[in-house]
Amino acid sequence: MNFNEIKELLFGEAEKAGLTEYDVYFRMASDVGAEALNRELSSCSFGTKGGVSFRCTVNGRLGTAASQCLEKEAVKALVSRAVANAAIIDADEEPIFFAGSGEGAYRAVTAKTAVLPDAAELRHAVLTLQEQLYSESELMTDGTSTAAGAATTEVCLANSKGLCLTHKAGMCYTYAEAIVNDGKEPSFGTAMAPTLSTDVGLSQKATAEALARLGAGAVKTGSYDVIFSARQVRSLLSAFAGIFSGKNALLGLSLLAGKEGEKVAADCLTLVDDPFYTENTMQMPFDGEGVATKEKNLIENGVLKTLLYDLTYAKKAGKEPTGNAARGIADPVSISPYCLRIAPGEYTEEALLQKLGNGIYINELKGLHAGADAVTGDFSIESAGFLVENGKCTRPVHSFTVAGNFFELLKAVDGVASNVEMSLPAASCTAAPDLLVRGLSVAGE
Amino acid sequence: MIKKQLLEELLGIAVSTGADFAEVFAEQERSNQIRLLDRRIESVRDFLLSGVGIRAFVGTKTYYASTSDTTREGLLKCAAAVAGAIGDATVAGKVTGLVNEPVQSQRVKHLPDDVPTARKAEILREASDAAVQLDEKISQVQGTYMDVDRRFLVANTEGLYREDRKIRTRLAINAVASNGGENQSGFYGPGGGVGIEFFEKVSPREAGERAARQALTNLSAVYCPAGVMTVAIENGFGGVIFHEACGHSLEATSVGIGASQMAGKLGQQIANPKVTAIDDGTIDGGWGSFAIDDEGNPAQRNVLIEKGVLKNYMVDRLGSRRMGMPMTGNSRRENYTYEPTSRMTNTFIDNGPDKNEDIIASIEYGLYAKAMGGGSVNPLTGEFNFSVKEGYLVRNGKICEPVRGASLIGTGAQILQDIDMVGQNLATGQGVCGSSSGSVPTDVGQPLIRVSKITVGGRS
Repeated sequence: MNFNEIKELLFGEAEKAGLTEYDVYFRMASDVGAEALNRELSSCSFGTKGGVSFRCTVNGRLGTAASQCLEKEAVKALVSRAVANAAIIDADEEPIFFAGSGEGAYRAVTAKTAVLPDAAELRHAVLTLQEQLYSESELMTDGTSTAAGAATTEVCLANSKGLCLTHKAGMCYTYAEAIVNDGKEPSFGTAMAPTLSTDVGLSQKATAEALARLGAGAVKTGSYDVIFSARQVRSLLSAFAGIFSGKNALLGLSLLAGKEGEKVAADCLTLVDDPFYTENTMQMPFDGEGVATKEKNLIENGVLKTLLYDLTYAKKAGKEPTGNAARGIADPVSISPYCLRIAPGEYTEEALLQKLGNGIYINELKGLHAGADAVTGDFSIESAGFLVENGKCTRPVHSFTVAGNFFELLKAVDGVASNVEMSLPAASCTAAPDLLVRGLSVAGE
Repeated sequence: MIKKQLLEELLGIAVSTGADFAEVFAEQERSNQIRLLDRRIESVRDFLLSGVGIRAFVGTKTYYASTSDTTREGLLKCAAAVAGAIGDATVAGKVTGLVNEPVQSQRVKHLPDDVPTARKAEILREASDAAVQLDEKISQVQGTYMDVDRRFLVANTEGLYREDRKIRTRLAINAVASNGGENQSGFYGPGGGVGIEFFEKVSPREAGERAARQALTNLSAVYCPAGVMTVAIENGFGGVIFHEACGHSLEATSVGIGASQMAGKLGQQIANPKVTAIDDGTIDGGWGSFAIDDEGNPAQRNVLIEKGVLKNYMVDRLGSRRMGMPMTGNSRRENYTYEPTSRMTNTFIDNGPDKNEDIIASIEYGLYAKAMGGGSVNPLTGEFNFSVKEGYLVRNGKICEPVRGASLIGTGAQILQDIDMVGQNLATGQGVCGSSSGSVPTDVGQPLIRVSKITVGGRS
C-alpha cells in the first residue's frame, strides 16, 4: 500500500472507532552500499524499508501503534492496537495534534535529493579507493577497508486537523579506513566525505592519520589543557545533546533547567541548531508533529538562549515550540536537534595549537555511550592524540583517559578554531571546529 | 511466513548469476516497550517489525538485499537485486531442495500477547515506586518494561530450512538522585530469554531499589582518583570487561580479516591460567540464548579460553569461509535489514580458585568496581574502555568510601595476563551489544576477579 491508500484506510477506521484526533506518519527509506577489503569487493547491499505509525487521543490519553508490514489487515489493526495502548497511559499531558504552522511557514529545502547510484558505480568507488590506499603506503595491511553508499527517505504526515505534509531527502557517503603496521603494532586512520567520491584526498587523509599514530606512547597522569579535534567535538556534542531538551530540563534530567538567559559557556562559544545547514543534504522543513522547523541559537556568546521543545513540553514550560519533535516509525515522539553546530571561531588550527602551547591534541575519543553521562555531565573517556609542546604536535600518545564535566567544559573553552567539519548528512547530525579547553584530568601512566 | 516453493524460487534467482550460496532470512517481530517517567506511564511503543533479507556468496564476497515489502513482487525484486549486483554469469549456482527440520524452540509459560498490558505496567510501577520510596533524594525515575516475540525462518541453497520463535523480557530502571545542584544516576536492567514469568524470580521492587541505591551512593561519592592501580571487579555485569577486552577480538568478524589482536593465536597461552572463558548460547532462559542462530545453526557452548589457552573463535558462515574453520552457532543480527555476522551470546569467565574475601583482602590500595557500565573496543589493537557505575576505594584490604566518574582502560592482551585472581560467585548481567550487524542482546558474566594493574580514568 502507498501512503494515500494507508491514510484513507486509517482515517476511515479511526472514524469508525469514534476517534476525533489522530495522525498517520509514514516513512519509506531506500539505501545502497558497497564495501571493499584487502583490495577486493567484500559486500554489496540494498535495502528498502517502509513503515507507518498511528497515534490517537482516547479519553485524553495518547495511544500509538506502528507496523512495517503494510498489508491491509496489519495496517487496519493499528487503530485498535493504539486505542488499547492508550488505556494504560496515565501521564497528565493532553495530546496535541497540530493544525499546521500556516502557509509559507515551511521553508523550501535547497538540498538536492540524492539519486541512488547503481552497484557498478559503488564498486568502482570502493575499489578505486582501495588502490589509492595501498599505493599511499607500503605499510598498508589487512583490514584496510573502504565503503560507499547512499540513502533516500520520504516522510509523510497527515492528521485529523487537515494537516498533510510530505518531504524527501537523501544523502551519500564515502569512507576510507587505512590500517598500517610497521612490524611493531598496527594503527588506523579514517576519513569520510558526504559525497560519492574517488578523490585521492580521502585516502591520503586516512593514511596520514594512520601513519601519524604509529609508535604512540604513554602520557603522564595529570591536569592538561586540551584541544579536541573537530571530529571529537562532534562526538561530545552528540553524547550530551540531551541536555538541551526542554523535556529533560522540566523533568530534572538536565542541569540546564531554568538557565535560559544565563551564562552557561565561555564568551567565545555559540551553538546553533540548524535544520537547514547548507552542508547537510538531509534538511527537514517540518518536525514529527508538523511544526515548521527553524534555525536558532541555543548558546549565543556563552549565554543560553533557548532549549528545544516539542508541542507538549513547550506548553508545559510556557514556551513556543521550536519544531524539534523527532519521530521515527516505532518510537514515540522525542525531542532532538537537527544539525547541532558550533559557530566557527577566529583561530586557524595552527594558531589554536600555538595558543595551547603545551598540552594534548585529542583526535580520538572512544566509548562515549558508556563514559559520558548527560544527566550528571560527567565524562571519563578513553582517548588518543598527540602531545603538544610549544605549539607543535611532538609525538603520538594513546591509552589514556580524559575526564571532566561537560557543564564545566563549556565554561572552560578558551579558543574556537575556524575549521568546522560536519558528520555525515542525517536528520540529526553535528558540525564543529577544533576547541581548546583548559584544565582537564588525564589518567595515563 | 513464506511458502517453501517461493523460498526455493528466491534462492534460485539469487544464485542465477553465479553465486555459490544463497540464503533467505524472513522475520516478524512484535515488540512492546512501556515507558514510565515521573511515576507515570508515559508511552507504549507497540511495533510490528516485518521483512526479509536475501544474501548470496561468491567466495567471500557477499551480496545482500533486504525489504519490508513481503509481497511476492517485493520478494522477487529483492532476490533480483542480489543477482543483478553479482553480474551476468551464465552458470547458475545449485539449489538443493528444502527440507523443513523442526527446531526445539524455547518453552515459555506466558507469551507476551497473552499478558494484559496493564499487568506489565504494574511491574514497572512497582519498581518505580520502590525506587522513589527509598529516599527523598530520589528525584526522578525512568523505567522501561520490554518484551519481544521474534519469529524467523532461514532457508538456504544447501537445503537448510528451519524456523524458530524467541521470547525475551526485560525491565530497565534508571534512578536519579539529586541534592539540588547536582544529579547522580543509578541503573539496573535485569532481563531473560523468557516471558513475564521472569518476574517470579526477579523482584521489580528489588530492581527499583538497586537502581536507587546506586544513584544515592554516587551522590555521596567523591571523584575517583586517576592512575594505574589494582582493581577488583564484581560479578554479573562486571563480565563486560571480558566482553570488551577479549570477546570482540575472538569474533570472526575481526579475526577473519586479520584485524584482530587474537588472530593466529589458537593454542597459545594468552591469559592467566586461572582464566577459563566460555560463550554459551544454549543456557536455558539466557538473555543471549537461542535455539538456532540467524543462519539456522543450533546454538553451541564454546569454550573460548581454557586455563589461559586460546581454544576457539566465534565463527559465522562468512568467517568459516575466510578462516577455514567450522561454524560455531554465533551468527546474529539485530533484524533482517542487517547481514548477520559472528557475535557473542552469553559470554562469561568461569569460576576460579580464589575465595572472594581473599581478593579484597589482598588489595593494599585500589578500586573495587561493584557495578559496571558499558564500554567499547578496537579489536585491531585490543584497546578497550568501560565505565564504572558504582565504585569504592580499597585500603588495606577493606572496602572504603564510594568514588564516581571512573573508567577503566587497557589492552585485551595485557589485561588477560593481569587477571591474577578469580573468585567463585559467577553471575551474569544483561546488556545490548552493538556491532556491524546491529544491536543484539548479550549476557556477560564472571565471578569477582582481581586485575593486578589497570589504568583508572578519574579526576583527582
